[in-house]
Amino acid sequence: MDKGLKKIKEVEDMLLNVGTLLMSSGASTGRVRTTVNRIADALGYNIELLITNRSLMLKVIDEETDRFIASLKRTSPHGVNFRVVSGISRMSWKVVEENWNVGQINAEIDRLVALPHYPRFIILSSVALAGSSFCALFGGKGVELVVAFVATFFGLFVRQVSLKKRFNPYVSIFFAAFAASLLSGLSVKLGIGGSPDLAFATSVLFLVPGVPLINSFTDMIDGNILNGITRGIHGLIIAFAIALGLLCAKFLFNI
Amino acid sequence: MEWIAIIEKGFWAGFAALGFAILFNVPQRTLFMIWGMGAIGGLTKFLLLGFEMNIVLCSLAGASFIGILSVYAAHNKQAPPLVFSIPSVIPMVPGAFAYRMMLGCMELAGTTSNSQTYLKTLAETTNNGLKAIFILIALSAGVAIPMLVTRKDTFKRIKSNEEQE
Repeated sequence: MDKGLKKIKEVEDMLLNVGTLLMSSGASTGRVRTTVNRIADALGYNIELLITNRSLMLKVIDEETDRFIASLKRTSPHGVNFRVVSGISRMSWKVVEENWNVGQINAEIDRLVALPHYPRFIILSSVALAGSSFCALFGGKGVELVVAFVATFFGLFVRQVSLKKRFNPYVSIFFAAFAASLLSGLSVKLGIGGSPDLAFATSVLFLVPGVPLINSFTDMIDGNILNGITRGIHGLIIAFAIALGLLCAKFLFNI
Repeated sequence: MEWIAIIEKGFWAGFAALGFAILFNVPQRTLFMIWGMGAIGGLTKFLLLGFEMNIVLCSLAGASFIGILSVYAAHNKQAPPLVFSIPSVIPMVPGAFAYRMMLGCMELAGTTSNSQTYLKTLAETTNNGLKAIFILIALSAGVAIPMLVTRKDTFKRIKSNEEQE
């Protein structure tokens, strides 16, 4: 490979990296397209982009020599990470304003990917707090809030463990919904609190597919209808998995 | 109207938003803003519900308020609008309606069509299901439209264009 092509290849790899990272961290299709375009513009290359939910196809054209490279990269299903989305978006502006080169961009991407998540205990307890807030929003009081807290904590824990053991993502959601509703169902069976039904219904709400559904709508009215439909179906399958988990617990306790 | 109950609900909506923000790993500098936006969205929704408005419209109002705020927050804290808007609208997700619809569907599947309660269950299930679906659409539309109204550009570029003109 000669020197000119090698340079285009570098840009190509970097842009594909940026695009797939954004896509798997929960950015909408329009945002992926704008960000990749912005970086390519700043570096002085023309690009053509095909974005699907699980892969990205990119053609980088050098305007001076008219040579191009086209290649494909698979999007890894990582789960939502807004820190990466926001970091890459900030970076893309710096690329434009401060004329960064490919090496600097790659270093920044490595830094962003290595950024830590919140500590596990904090994630678990704040999502559990969100679970009991849901219960309060639907009219729960006192003991029901505690039940929702414990059930959500346990459910999210089960989800994290089953994702780590590389179960199918939908199956992990089923496990989580089942685990959470088992705990909250127990409170219904034993009659703890005034209206334990509320805790039962709200203990699985931490699994709601908010990001896929909202991104689905954003994509569709943006004109990326195929991506929007894919995301919508993804959200629907998650909703079915949650329903199935609830159902199993309901039949088990016969409530 | 019970003001204290409404304010309390806004407070809880903020915490629900905060939990999801941490689950989605948002940057630390945006956390407080997300709590505030979740609370404001929840307050708007429950305040309008207090005037006995349609729940779909209430959710739309709350979500669009969040959507508009998210565009400003994005500029202020330098993060894309969706980082703020998605965690903030999640407290308004129609979980209870979806749950009741599912229960209704299970009941419908389990009984014969000429039983006495069938029509009543069918009516309730349809009502709950339609509410759940329309609230979901209202939430995503409320969040997405303010972002699109800013003409697909980021807030930053609009600002700098105005300065140039």
